[in-house]
Amino acid sequence: MGRILCATRGGEASRRTQDAAIALAKEQGDELIFLYVADSSFLNHTAAPLVIDVEARLVKMGEFQLLVAKERAAAQGISAQTIVRKGKLRAELVGAARELGVDLIVLGHPVDQHEQAIFDEAALQAFATSLQAITGTRVRIL
Amino acid sequence: MKKSVLYILGALGAICLAAGLWWLVGLAADEGYGPSFAISIGIFLIVFAAISLRWMHETAAALLGAVAVWLVHYVGGAISPALQNLSFETSMQFVDWNVIFLILGMMIFMAMFSETGIFNWMAFRAFRLARGNAWLLGMVLVLLTGLLSAFLNDVTAILLLVPLSIEIAQTVGIHPLAYVIPEVLSSNIGGAATLIGDPPSTIVGSHLGLSFVEYLIHMAPIAVLCLIPLLALMTLMYRREFSSARGRVSPALVARLEADAHITDRALLVKTAIVGAATLALFLTGDIFGMPPSVIALTGAAILVAWVRPDMHQMLHEVDWTTLVFFIGIFVVVGGLEESGVISWVASMIGDLAGNSLVFAAILMVWIPGVASGVVANIPFTVAALPIADYLSATIPGAENGVLYWALILGADLGGNSTYLGSAPNIVAVGLLAQAGYRLSFGRFMRDGVPVTLVTLVLATLWLLVRY
Repeated sequence: MGRILCATRGGEASRRTQDAAIALAKEQGDELIFLYVADSSFLNHTAAPLVIDVEARLVKMGEFQLLVAKERAAAQGISAQTIVRKGKLRAELVGAARELGVDLIVLGHPVDQHEQAIFDEAALQAFATSLQAITGTRVRIL
Repeated sequence: MKKSVLYILGALGAICLAAGLWWLVGLAADEGYGPSFAISIGIFLIVFAAISLRWMHETAAALLGAVAVWLVHYVGGAISPALQNLSFETSMQFVDWNVIFLILGMMIFMAMFSETGIFNWMAFRAFRLARGNAWLLGMVLVLLTGLLSAFLNDVTAILLLVPLSIEIAQTVGIHPLAYVIPEVLSSNIGGAATLIGDPPSTIVGSHLGLSFVEYLIHMAPIAVLCLIPLLALMTLMYRREFSSARGRVSPALVARLEADAHITDRALLVKTAIVGAATLALFLTGDIFGMPPSVIALTGAAILVAWVRPDMHQMLHEVDWTTLVFFIGIFVVVGGLEESGVISWVASMIGDLAGNSLVFAAILMVWIPGVASGVVANIPFTVAALPIADYLSATIPGAENGVLYWALILGADLGGNSTYLGSAPNIVAVGLLAQAGYRLSFGRFMRDGVPVTLVTLVLATLWLLVRY
């Protein structure tokens, strides 16, 4: 039995990726792990007073998002594991893939409500390629 | 938009800016202003652009600007005395220390208050009270955000409530934007209600030496009034979302919300609430002692620190010094503009434009900051506009009642609602939504923000004309 690591956030745009990862895990009989990376770098430009632990807030929100994903998996008969890490997506994905010894990393290809890609296609492909080179693990964009 | 188009637009903007600056400098030279006139404008515009276009951290931009002002004075001044403009000693007189210490005191309060878990508890109570009614829940969350923004700080309110609101929206089965966008708009409106709610409010209130109560009497009514059209527009714009909310909520998600909704430190909550109530009482009675708001905030913070006895290293680590440095930098940069005569020159031009008409001047003071705040940073804008309000208030008959200052606050605070770049709470909320997997585009924010901004600015203008 293999291990699939699916990096996800939440929202409509991520649902398809989650569903595809769930279907893949079911088809292959693999273990499914959802990963959420809490990244507070969006606050890097503001001088507004940040006196609360923003990362802790994001971690809690991430846990909630993964609970939603876990419920979706459970509804399809898959018992998924969840992990929340703090930091940058690339570094945390690499770290999680190595620590967990996964066989496949699944990345989302989210689209917005107008079916337009949220991320640049070429950039996503390049990201997947570099991730595969660094971790030595297969990477699939679903 | 394609990058090449953005570059072309950027280049055109830079050319227009350079041409405008050249014309301005020529005009100023004709009127006998020295080279520091143009240099101080250049420094301000670069800092302003760096902040508004997010080239770098706001604090870094403001600090660089302040350093540039001093370097021009000392290094440039050694080469040519005409370049001497603002020395370090003089620049400190332009820093409003009441603003700096008021923000510092409130940050200590906020840091301790947020550790009690009270906000999660309140949001979950709202969820329970609404009994699955998505519209009612939205109303409560929006009003709660407005209230917290008035008494804490708008960005803190957003950081505390938006993650919870996203989770609550997912639990009741509606799109989180239906809660988050109105909450952000409410935060900017609520921030105008008190002296401590929003930076423009704090800056203008402190400049006028207003007490908490004096400010509250003038601004709270219009802030509350502006919440009414916001709630009405929210109901109208999200009626489909609210009506399509699923009746059945996931027990696992509710259990998760409930698990996070407990008071984490009851003793701290009691102490914070007691000192907070005493501080609020001092704010309300501060007039009697002639105490500036900064002293009141620091008194409360000092008592709280002495009573709670937190790890002081940790406590001081939690104070966001970048905010304080940012304000000091902006005050110095604008001080450079004032010292070189730019502000009085611009003020006299606006004064000529307004003539002796107080009504026209008030309309200008609401709508210029109102429109500008949507696209440029409203803190440096307010600091720079303040001496202009001083000039106009001193020269236009009838303006001594302070109407132009209220106009400036309302324009800067309410105008920030039109785009997601308009104010810090907007930018923070967009980031939080993205972290939850919900992309909020510039246009999507404007769809909600522009109508609310227009309606509230019209309301604010009418209020000023009738009230003053």
